[in-house]
Amino acid sequence: MSADLQFRKDLVDLVPRLRRFAYSLCGSMPDADDLVQAACERALKSADQFQPGTRMEGWMFRIVQNLWLDQRRRARVRGDQVDPEDIGLSDQGRGASLPQDRLMLEQTRAAMATLPEAQRAVLALVAIEGQSYRDAAETLGVPVGTVMSRLARARETLLPLLGLSKGPRQ
Amino acid sequence: MTAMTKERLAAFVDGELTPEEAAQVVLHLADHPDDQALVDEMMAANLALQRAFGAPMAEPVPPAILATLGMGQVVPLRRRAVPLWGAVLGAGLAAAAAFVAMLPGAAPGLVVGPVAEGSALHQVLTARASGDAAVLGDGSTLAVLATMPASGGWCREVERLAEGLTEVALACTEGGVWRVDVVLAEGLSPAADGFMPASGEGAAALTPWLDRRGAGSVLTPDQERAALAAGWR
Repeated sequence: MSADLQFRKDLVDLVPRLRRFAYSLCGSMPDADDLVQAACERALKSADQFQPGTRMEGWMFRIVQNLWLDQRRRARVRGDQVDPEDIGLSDQGRGASLPQDRLMLEQTRAAMATLPEAQRAVLALVAIEGQSYRDAAETLGVPVGTVMSRLARARETLLPLLGLSKGPRQ
Repeated sequence: MTAMTKERLAAFVDGELTPEEAAQVVLHLADHPDDQALVDEMMAANLALQRAFGAPMAEPVPPAILATLGMGQVVPLRRRAVPLWGAVLGAGLAAAAAFVAMLPGAAPGLVVGPVAEGSALHQVLTARASGDAAVLGDGSTLAVLATMPASGGWCREVERLAEGLTEVALACTEGGVWRVDVVLAEGLSPAADGFMPASGEGAAALTPWLDRRGAGSVLTPDQERAALAAGWR
């Protein structure tokens, strides 16, 4: 198999995880698919920068995250407003009659969307993708200590929103 | 023992500690219920996050992304909790649908596709309220679990209970015709082909398909009676 075909096959294998990561960043599946599509296009153009034998996962997660941050920055410059409907912050009262389990999942997505970008990314990598602190640090290009502190702050915000926290601890 | 920091407890939850370090934390937790509660909360949050954003792991790679990668013919198998057999709305899912014919036991149970008029499933979908179970010829029971309005009409979650097997399906109206979007099975051994049953998720695993149909809140019994009486118009 040619190196190019192997590269594209490895990318296809990664797509489910890239989509999950993108979903946790964007909060919407159509946006996540657009993001992954753009990341795949970027990866194909930059294939020569990928070192065979190194972690494709970290390289691709980094591309997804950087594209997402670019999009967010551009949206801020344009003054785009985030529609609360898009990220599940408003449920138009539907929550009251949703089965408990679906309600919890919707609450979780809405809570994730309230986190600052850097905290959301680190929580997605560690809590959802199961990356080690070291791998997450490498993906995000920050020290391990920063991963830990962002993770702690993300959880301080998230746990009360999920109704899981009994309140602040000393 | 040194004071247990929240960072160390988080590292324990995130699998960052060596077995020896993790064992120390476990010992500590036995005597510190507050810390145990925090660990439980962090684990519950991790699980909630994995489930809230897990839908893509049970879906085929979208055709548009495959096309971008020049790999339109590839639908990789993923060793995850995915539908045992099923097809979702949209294109590019022929490979998933192909499992319908291959899997043993599919014939008497629920299958993806249009619901034949006159079938037991059709009768249950069109005439029975949620929770009103019908007993089928093979001894299994079939009941609607919940009814939701959807963008194209209605969706109903259906459960079939047979010996050693629970099937949960989502059926929705499409142009007035009932169609099963997906069937999830529990209680089977992992299949040898790389697919596994959606264990432990039950009806909750239908969330991605409900989202695709734009399903709203579950109807109250009164609302459901009205929809039944109106023939799902």
